[in-house]
Amino acid sequence: MDLFVKASLAGSALLGLSALGRYISFQVESGHPSTYDLGPASDYPAGSSTPALGIPAFIIHNDQGFKALSLVCPHLGCTVNVTDEGFGCPCHGSRFLRDGSLRNGPASHPLTSLKVELNDDGHLILYMA
Amino acid sequence: MFWRQDQSPKPIAITPSITGKTEYCLTCHVDIPEISPSHPVETFGCVLCHGGEPLALDADLAHSTMRGGANPSDLSVVEASCGGEMCHSESAQANRDHIQRVTTSLQATYAGAIAQVRYAFGAQPDLTARMGIYAIDGLAAFDPATESSPALQGFADNCLTCHLSSQPLEGEEYSRWTGCSACHSPAPREDGTQVHKLTTAIPYTQCNACHNRGNYSLADMQFHPRQDNPTDRLHDYYQPIAEFTRCEYTLDCADCHTRQEAMGDGHVYSNKKEIQYVRCKTCHGTPDALPLTHTITDENDLALRMAFLNPVIDLKVGDTILITDKGEPLWNIRVMPGAAGETPTYELFSKSTGDRFTFKPVMGSTCQQNPDEQQASSCHECHATQR
Repeated sequence: MDLFVKASLAGSALLGLSALGRYISFQVESGHPSTYDLGPASDYPAGSSTPALGIPAFIIHNDQGFKALSLVCPHLGCTVNVTDEGFGCPCHGSRFLRDGSLRNGPASHPLTSLKVELNDDGHLILYMA
Repeated sequence: MFWRQDQSPKPIAITPSITGKTEYCLTCHVDIPEISPSHPVETFGCVLCHGGEPLALDADLAHSTMRGGANPSDLSVVEASCGGEMCHSESAQANRDHIQRVTTSLQATYAGAIAQVRYAFGAQPDLTARMGIYAIDGLAAFDPATESSPALQGFADNCLTCHLSSQPLEGEEYSRWTGCSACHSPAPREDGTQVHKLTTAIPYTQCNACHNRGNYSLADMQFHPRQDNPTDRLHDYYQPIAEFTRCEYTLDCADCHTRQEAMGDGHVYSNKKEIQYVRCKTCHGTPDALPLTHTITDENDLALRMAFLNPVIDLKVGDTILITDKGEPLWNIRVMPGAAGETPTYELFSKSTGDRFTFKPVMGSTCQQNPDEQQASSCHECHATQR
């Protein structure tokens, strides 16, 4: 076969494979991460209650250690706000006490407790699942 | 091709917490405002309500499977959009059976008007509703093709423009959406633009898209629009066929007429008189009796939820509100604190504007009403305003 034709065919094949590769390698942006590094534990001194920055979670450091509450309302998933009495959902009015227990609905469950632990570097790791 | 792809706007992705599935709708619709505080886009997304192809970046493809076009609350698709077991078609006990109630209501079925006209022209022996705009719950679908009376053909051609499934007449004064948005969303503007909004703060102007627009005549089977050109609320509120009391044109319809009256109670009725039950005495009482009240003791009281959704009143546990004789909470009307033994004073907060009004009950006043005559016309004899 003529060299020009072979080269053209090879070039077309490369272009086609490249386009195919680009197509099948496209990644839909995935949802939210399942773990977060919250930074040094020293940022959360004993007795503190801190909303996690950019994450729907609330970090509590009491005499029993570290505890985290999900700020995702168990009703329909809106992010609850921190209030003077605890937490309140801006969507449909569910309210929770400071320990996450349910004060009034329409939610029917308390705020979910999340796992939080210290890693070897002294950072707090939050597990959202 | 790659260059063109690289020049395309980067998709804007959201992953609503309810579905957990990524959507790219905001890539193009970035300027659409939040529809309501109770439906934030980061929780609900767009596709849950509107349908559509969440990952498509081509407009035609993205919109190809949308429900109801720009209005997913149209009754033909409302169950899939506003309904669902998490949303507005759950149980009556949870006070979330909105769709079941609306779809059987007179405003949706038009069963009352259909019964009246069919009876008037001999197509049925009495005024009991037998047909609606669509078949539901014992009602057959009204089909003018099966009606023998020419009058009923004319009725079908000219007089079916005011039920929740119908497209409105041409003209800004008739402009409204269909379905739930007929009441809960601002009408499309005259220039065709739309407001992406859901609200329970419904002004009387929303109701006036259908009500008080004119009259249907059985004589010629035509709709006759009102001929006046009102320039103020007093004259705009009702067409010039009657006189009304000050509260009837100062407040909005939703301040007095309850959820059951407007949206139905899940039962099919033959006449609006069977579902419309609020009277002047509901708020004002009679010479013999104060209006019914309810003291809120439960944090989960429906009145608190209603007040949360439309915060014109800072309602809380311990407050005493008015209720109807069917137990519906008039959550925007509260008994003001007063000394024991004194005639109470009530405060009402307009659901549309938040304006506050106070009033006294009939008991203890110089009102000379007959407690057995509670039609509006009885109160109008003294209290109607000359327009």
